[in-house]
Amino acid sequence: MEKAKKASHSLFQSTFFMFSNAWQTSKTVLFLVLALAFLCASKAAAELFMAPVILQKIENAAPLSRLLGTIAAFGASLLTLTGLEAYLRQNALFGRIAVRRHILAEIAGKATRTSYPNTLDTDFISFESRAYKACENNASPTEAFWSSLTDLLANILSFAAWSFLLSGLSPFLLLFITASSVCGYLVKKRTIRWIWLHRKEEASCLKPMDYIRQVSTGRQYAKDIRIFSLQPWLLRTWETAFGQYQRFLAKREKFCSISDGADFFLMLLQGCFTFYWLIRLILAQKLSASGFLLYFTAANGFSRWVTGIMDSFSRLHSQSLDLSVVREFLHWPEPFLFENGKHLPKDTNRSYEIRLENVSFSYAGCERNTISHMNLTVSPGEKLAVVGLNGAGKTTLIKLICGLLDPAEGCVLLNGEDIRQYNRRDYYALFSAVFQDFSILEASAAQNICQTPAPMDAGRILECMSMAGLTEKIQSLSNGLDTKIGKQIYRDGLELSGGQAQRLMLARALYKNAPVVILDEPTSALDSIAEHDIYLKYSQMTDGHTSIFISHRLASTRFCDRILFLEQGRIKEEGTHQRLLARGGSYAALFHIQSQYYQEKGIFHG
Amino acid sequence: MDKENQTVSFLKSITLNSRAWSIWWNLCPGLFLSSLLHSASAALNLYTAVWLSARMITEVAGSSSPRTVISLALAQVLSASSFSLLTAVLKRFKTYYADSASCLYHRIYMDKMFSLDYTRLDSQDTYSLYSQIIQNDAWSSLGIHETVSLFETFTAACAQILGGIILAAPLLSAPVPPGSGSLSLLNHPLCGCFLIGLMLLIALFSSFCADKAQNYWTLYAPKTRLGNRMADFYISAAKDRKRALDMRIYNQSEIIAKFYMEGNTPFGPSSEIARCAKGPMGIWAALSQSVSAVLTVMIYLFVCLKAWAGAFGLGDVVVYTAAIANLFLGISQLSGALGRMAANGRFLETAFGFLDAPSIMYQGTLTTEKRSDGQYEIEFRNVSFCYPGAQDYALRHINMKFPIGSRLAIVGANGSGKTTFIKLLCRLYDPTEGEILLNGIDIRKYKYVDYIDLFSVVFQDFKLFALPLGENIAGSCRFDSLKASSCLEKAGFSNQKAVMPHGLSTFLYRDLDGRGAELSLGEAQKTAIARALYKDAPFMILDEPTAALDPVSEAEIYEKFGAITRGKTAVCISHRLSSCKFCDEVAVFDKGNLVQQGSHDLLLQDPQGKYYELWHAQAQYYYPENA
Repeated sequence: MEKAKKASHSLFQSTFFMFSNAWQTSKTVLFLVLALAFLCASKAAAELFMAPVILQKIENAAPLSRLLGTIAAFGASLLTLTGLEAYLRQNALFGRIAVRRHILAEIAGKATRTSYPNTLDTDFISFESRAYKACENNASPTEAFWSSLTDLLANILSFAAWSFLLSGLSPFLLLFITASSVCGYLVKKRTIRWIWLHRKEEASCLKPMDYIRQVSTGRQYAKDIRIFSLQPWLLRTWETAFGQYQRFLAKREKFCSISDGADFFLMLLQGCFTFYWLIRLILAQKLSASGFLLYFTAANGFSRWVTGIMDSFSRLHSQSLDLSVVREFLHWPEPFLFENGKHLPKDTNRSYEIRLENVSFSYAGCERNTISHMNLTVSPGEKLAVVGLNGAGKTTLIKLICGLLDPAEGCVLLNGEDIRQYNRRDYYALFSAVFQDFSILEASAAQNICQTPAPMDAGRILECMSMAGLTEKIQSLSNGLDTKIGKQIYRDGLELSGGQAQRLMLARALYKNAPVVILDEPTSALDSIAEHDIYLKYSQMTDGHTSIFISHRLASTRFCDRILFLEQGRIKEEGTHQRLLARGGSYAALFHIQSQYYQEKGIFHG
Repeated sequence: MDKENQTVSFLKSITLNSRAWSIWWNLCPGLFLSSLLHSASAALNLYTAVWLSARMITEVAGSSSPRTVISLALAQVLSASSFSLLTAVLKRFKTYYADSASCLYHRIYMDKMFSLDYTRLDSQDTYSLYSQIIQNDAWSSLGIHETVSLFETFTAACAQILGGIILAAPLLSAPVPPGSGSLSLLNHPLCGCFLIGLMLLIALFSSFCADKAQNYWTLYAPKTRLGNRMADFYISAAKDRKRALDMRIYNQSEIIAKFYMEGNTPFGPSSEIARCAKGPMGIWAALSQSVSAVLTVMIYLFVCLKAWAGAFGLGDVVVYTAAIANLFLGISQLSGALGRMAANGRFLETAFGFLDAPSIMYQGTLTTEKRSDGQYEIEFRNVSFCYPGAQDYALRHINMKFPIGSRLAIVGANGSGKTTFIKLLCRLYDPTEGEILLNGIDIRKYKYVDYIDLFSVVFQDFKLFALPLGENIAGSCRFDSLKASSCLEKAGFSNQKAVMPHGLSTFLYRDLDGRGAELSLGEAQKTAIARALYKDAPFMILDEPTAALDPVSEAEIYEKFGAITRGKTAVCISHRLSSCKFCDEVAVFDKGNLVQQGSHDLLLQDPQGKYYELWHAQAQYYYPENA
């Protein structure tokens, strides 16, 4: 009961949602739904009446001119109705696509702008992917909604017209056909439900096949497949799944044939019932041949409208459930303040002190704190390094500092003020960062560095590129700074190697010139000489900025003022490289592990 | 891409289509049988109903004897419901085969991919072609998949045409009785011919109009393609979690919306194609549908005039009009299907272009004798290599002999040719110049499978599969669990029990099993090493085995290095030079050249050498005097 109420509620809201989107994007969508429904119903009526009316003229031996006139009149109306319908259908598409794209853009906008912790929330992620799925193609709910609506209206109109006609024959017949069609539909619904209930079983066969297909046709897997002769293994796994799938199909079709059996009986009953009424009239000499044809065709076709109404209504209903997922996603609550937060002016000359007070953080589903009770002050202009093993919490610490995550306990303060009160986007403007994962745009190299569509300060771009060690590469390109990056949009685009991408991201960070520079393992894809080159330029790059450098190569951070050694989310040791070595603690022990391979007699003393 | 905008000739498309059908016939013959039976049953159902209802009308218009009326009614009800049941059941079979075929479809390409040699497989052409095929398929099953539904349409249309002809044939032969004036003109054979001709003409004209309307899509496709790619990128970027951090710090949300969505509405109501739809495109579409109304009028005219003149009764009017209308539907379906077949021709050409791609590599026939002593000697003789389509050589004039049973380290900066060297060694590519010899014989002369069997490789971008751990290690459904466990142990996967709750049958990753083990990079690397150990080949090759590891895991791998490579000829690539210490010999690559070779100590003595430079770029951080 509760559920049914909610579902009907969602149908109403989803309809409102779609109508208001259409109103904003393309109003013709609404008009075309009405027009097409009306045309469909009229065409069906014209087709129904054509044969009987013409037959009547022959039966009554009407004058030839009347016969010809009738044929011509029906012909003309069919011509107009079909033509108009085809014309409108062709045109209905564009508005509907526009509405779908509008919704799609809203979803993408929400996904890219939402508070970062949402993007880690599995509920949010599943709603997001369902929301996208609702906009995938022409058959997805955000577009197919309109055709379901059209069908529903057309079926209702025809149902009304047919009912009117058949009630002249017998209201009982009308009731019986309606009731039995509903029964037939319910049985069919059960088979659909069976398929829905067994979707996991189906997926468990399809998924392995799909996976094996992806790996066997994927370029990245080809080397391993060949070297280890994995073909027979993969094919056997595929075949096992395929066998399972065929068994599933057989089971499914067997079950669904229940509905075929039910249809058989209902057809039999409906046929008998219809003929009972018709034959009574015929034998009473109350029905002409053309009248028989009209009623017979109408009675046979009537169940189509009943089923049609139920079918389009149930489609509309399931679409509205998908649409309510879209709505819920778009209204997902935001833990961070954005436009409604305090404005934080970007002022490059101002100095910023960032302080962590007793900060703890743990990811959802994780028992252990990734960061626990951390106190840290990053003074303006300080060059800080953060080192530690994988999983020590380095990247999480950075995310907390950047305001991408909020601490579960404690707070992050900017010049003594809790950052949660600010518009988070203003706060982000304070950071130039190179993370381990990055977002290179399919746009020109220059646009990637400036992050604006419009042309910009070429001098500074080149300066930043040279600092990141990209000058040589850019000069080798015929289009220079205007070279498009990536091949997804521009077929002549340039594909960057891992090292080049990393350098481009470094140049972008430098160009942004924000007060705080954060580099998270920015040299992982570079070879030792290139890495060394970046280290040498580090102080020039970060001149006048606060900087935080993360690495798991301990010694590489010696150019920093202070090194934090993290272990299990805590600052285990801190100080300069020399101080930490002298201390002989964990840092020194780890340093020893790394350096032992480089220490060889005859090298250091030679 | 351009090729797909050209159509192939009709005859050619028939040949291509038959070839696709013969592929299907071999894969799944039930597809054809079930389709034929279903079409036949559907046509039978349709025309029996028409015929019986006509008899009924004749009866109603005539004597209306109760017995005949009732028995006709019973016949009608029984036949309609039974034929519907039969058709429905046959449709179940058809669905079963069609759904199976959707899976088998992929096998066609999987098998081809497996049989392609790596050089051909790895080329950009192969992948562009394949992704084009996948796109065509995703976009409305164009290509080999389309021929399945073409067959269904063909059989359905033919059955409908055949039934229509049988029922409608007497229409032409039934003469208008003499004395009906000018209407006896209808007896003239030309009238019948005219009707048949008109039917074909209208069917053709209708599909001509539909094509005209459809062509606007093709016409505007290049213009919309860029817009579509932009929108696709926008969405994929928004979905990509790896971009989430940059999106926020660099405020990319606004930027990408501006870049890719503003003014980018290739199908919006104000787009060129939408304006076209208001004009010619919409009119062609309307014509293609409404022209059939003209035929309907002609059929009624002809049939009714004949009936009016007394050639046949009311019942026959119903039979003939319904039969011809359905016959016409059959013809339009057929002509539509033929049009689709012709249009599909160029997509089939693409598909077969891929399936017919020959292997590039020379396939030798010699077997490498299995030697238990591992005495395989490999020598590079003046080998140069240039990637297909690339301008610069990736390797130049490499001469090198692998000392049997020794450990070789290969070092060099990014792009110096280290990985390419390995690819040539494993015969993923053949040298452009020079030759590689195994025990004195050019490796191309050996059977490919035999040769490749000599190598266990852990590539830098190695891949494990989302299937059970044991199967991954053995590379087969059946495996020796003792051996697999001992390989894991040897590879240093010590906390295996904790990560793998179900031991060797634990699935890796969560793609196929929600309880699968999510491996860390280090664990994945150790599993890949275990796989290489299980293969137990005479050559063990490790490409950057520690690149992604933290110092502790790195140290673990190094400690195991001796055990991993015992009794084998080992090659280890790294740009962390510390690994060289474990090797007997070091080969230094620079810009595709082998610049130095010798032991670590020997190479370090040359301060001008590349090795010296590479070593010190890293080692300086670990000098005590700097520390």
